[in-house]
Amino acid sequence: MNSDVATKNNASTKTKSKKKRSQWSEVWRRLKQNKMAMAGLVILTILVLLAVFADVIADYDEVAIKQNAAVRLQGPSKDHWLGTDNLGRDIFARMIHGARISLMVGIVAVSIAILIGGTLGAIAGFYGGKVDNIIMRFMDVFLAIPSILLAIAIVGALGQNLFNLMLAIGVSSIPGFARIVRASVLTVKDQEFVEAARAIGATDTRIIIKHIIPNALAPVIVQGTLGVAGAILSTAGLSFIGLGVPKPRPEWGAMLSDGRQFLRNASHITTFPGLAIVITILALNLLGDGLRDALDPRLKQ
Amino acid sequence: MLKQRKSFVLLSMLLVITVVLSACGNKTTSGGGSSTKDELVVAQGADPKSLDPHASNDQPSTRINRQIYNTLVVTDNNMEIQPGLAESWDQVDDNTWEFKLREGVKFHNGEEMKASDVVFSFDRMANSAEVAHIIGAVKSVEEKDDYNVVIKTEEPFAPLLAHLAHSASSILSEKAVKDAGDDYQSHPVGTGPFKFVSHDSGDKVTLERFDDYYGDKAKVKTLVFRNVPEGTNRTIGLQTGEIDIAYDVEPIDVKTVEGDKGLKLVKDPSLSSDYVGFNTKKAPYDNVKVRQAINYAINVDEIIEVALEGAGTPATGPINDKVYGYNSNLKGYEYNPEKAKELLKEAGFENGFKTTIWTNDNPVRVTIAEIVQGQLKEIGIDAKVEQVEWGAYLERTGKGEHDMFILGWTTVTGDADYGLYAVYHSSQHGGAGNRTFFTDPKVDELLDKGRTATNEDERLKAYAEAQELILEGAPQAFLQFKTHNAGMQKNVEGFELHPSGSHYLGSVGFSK
Repeated sequence: MNSDVATKNNASTKTKSKKKRSQWSEVWRRLKQNKMAMAGLVILTILVLLAVFADVIADYDEVAIKQNAAVRLQGPSKDHWLGTDNLGRDIFARMIHGARISLMVGIVAVSIAILIGGTLGAIAGFYGGKVDNIIMRFMDVFLAIPSILLAIAIVGALGQNLFNLMLAIGVSSIPGFARIVRASVLTVKDQEFVEAARAIGATDTRIIIKHIIPNALAPVIVQGTLGVAGAILSTAGLSFIGLGVPKPRPEWGAMLSDGRQFLRNASHITTFPGLAIVITILALNLLGDGLRDALDPRLKQ
Repeated sequence: MLKQRKSFVLLSMLLVITVVLSACGNKTTSGGGSSTKDELVVAQGADPKSLDPHASNDQPSTRINRQIYNTLVVTDNNMEIQPGLAESWDQVDDNTWEFKLREGVKFHNGEEMKASDVVFSFDRMANSAEVAHIIGAVKSVEEKDDYNVVIKTEEPFAPLLAHLAHSASSILSEKAVKDAGDDYQSHPVGTGPFKFVSHDSGDKVTLERFDDYYGDKAKVKTLVFRNVPEGTNRTIGLQTGEIDIAYDVEPIDVKTVEGDKGLKLVKDPSLSSDYVGFNTKKAPYDNVKVRQAINYAINVDEIIEVALEGAGTPATGPINDKVYGYNSNLKGYEYNPEKAKELLKEAGFENGFKTTIWTNDNPVRVTIAEIVQGQLKEIGIDAKVEQVEWGAYLERTGKGEHDMFILGWTTVTGDADYGLYAVYHSSQHGGAGNRTFFTDPKVDELLDKGRTATNEDERLKAYAEAQELILEGAPQAFLQFKTHNAGMQKNVEGFELHPSGSHYLGSVGFSK
């Protein structure tokens, strides 16, 4: 992406774009060496594939939300790989349809946060002074409110649906991204290439978008990966207390909450969604850590 | 340095584990070795709203108030009226009743209960927003002498005795109420077998045996009502021995309790029924065919099996056979999705419609909502389940903002009047009880007649007909009559379920 942008727009030369491309392939090379990170990536790929092809694997109307009292509370078997819940619905089918919600909320929420928080952070970091002060103090106020509480308040006020859920989780993680982007913009903005761009008369917007952001991206990528994990956890948390996606649409946190009553009689209802949450978060964290190592400038040489 | 820190962590972990384990150990010994046990711990699912019987009409409060207070007459465990604080009574004419009070009954503050306290209590009750409706038919309560009270009604009111047995009709000490002022609910004083000791809000209420009680003294010295909202935790409490009696064992835990060697479970049909109410003011529920169609579309057997683990019987009408005035000829609606589709077609909703089902966060109701949602989908109705917080739930259904909602009704007095008038009479629209806004002049007429008729046969006939019309008018989808239960330690003796759910605990003790 960034290398493309560089090729098309950067007036300097082809050599620079080549160098940039090799920089990203360098990152990829380093990431490949990190076995844990690759494990995380593989797990995530599988999850994404399951989520994308959920309808092919198990039909939503006919399997995932179809109640069947005759087979309720059954343990794992040939027909129902992960057993059935208290309404006789197939837990495996519900989990892969639930993965859609979790991944979608995670990614969309983090995108909202990066877009808004990143813009605010970049403006604050680049202009400094009063602008910086106003934006960041505003962010501090946001940070003072626990993010899950803020999300609960937003969903509570706007009503319970998928969009509001994504919005709530996204908005509540804006300040974190604003801070990170601001910090990395601060480290980049005084470097020579920025001064050079300014010297040839580039506008502020151009400098921020074309020069500063691409170079301040590394920590955002890492935080974004970890942020998706956080967002998935928040979604599960909100669903657990009944503020998530409306029933009967399956969601991991809601599945945990529904199965809680049956913990002692049919523990598989809670075990599998619980495991799904754990594995997803673990995978995202492994990948995030791997990316951090791969992107760390100290290792660049 | 690092090593030191590591060993410190290890040490502190060890410490924590030891403390936890020893705490567990203590608990089991105090629970197990109990030959001289004198404390009965009862767990229920919610904290009482108020121990002032005139400020609450919720079951958690009533269950405790029953132990602290007495009423003029009581309903026994078979719902028969028995003498309470009044040893006898006499209906002088259609509108006048005379009660002779028991002499020498002491309040917990040492005062003797006299006619003036009775008059005071009913005056106070009549001014309470929460419970005044229960004695709405009463015109005046007068003191004839210290031990005789005359109650007059506006017009003949047949179910008067059942209403006087309601826990809201408890007799309070005039002196105690006046002494306590605004803070009466934290100093409740009654004549019951237990007196109030303390209320740790949200946690527990502690009562103590009242040694001057006029009847049989309580078997245990201390009675503790604990608030354990999560049903599973009540069962676990039973198994670990920290709870002696757990009210309302969750359907899923019933088998666990029954299968436990140290525990037993009693269950009985209750006076409660569950229903899915419609907002009959709103389209499409203003069409009786739609309402009937939904009744046919719901498979109640499946709800009973899945949500209640079998703890109920399909409702045959608005009230059940434990209630006086029950019409045993009614059969209820069968499960017949084909007929449901036909009725929808006749009503002009061949392709179904979109709607919402409201429920509060009660896990059984949430499950019922989800099952109903699935069953309605089969006949093309696309319902959305929304969970609404309890306070808002009552308020908003009272205002008529809902489409469909899940609720239950307990006929605590055991008389058809209480079970039908508030829920189906058009004068009771909204928060008073008729949350479906059902209106049928014929039903109104029959319910008024049942209330005022002095001839028992006439009453029964009016109620039988009213139930038929209500079933046909289908202001709600009739679900089930609930079975209620209580789990307890094997050594608990003398416990019996009261159909209203407020069980008497004075005679409960431990076997040696």
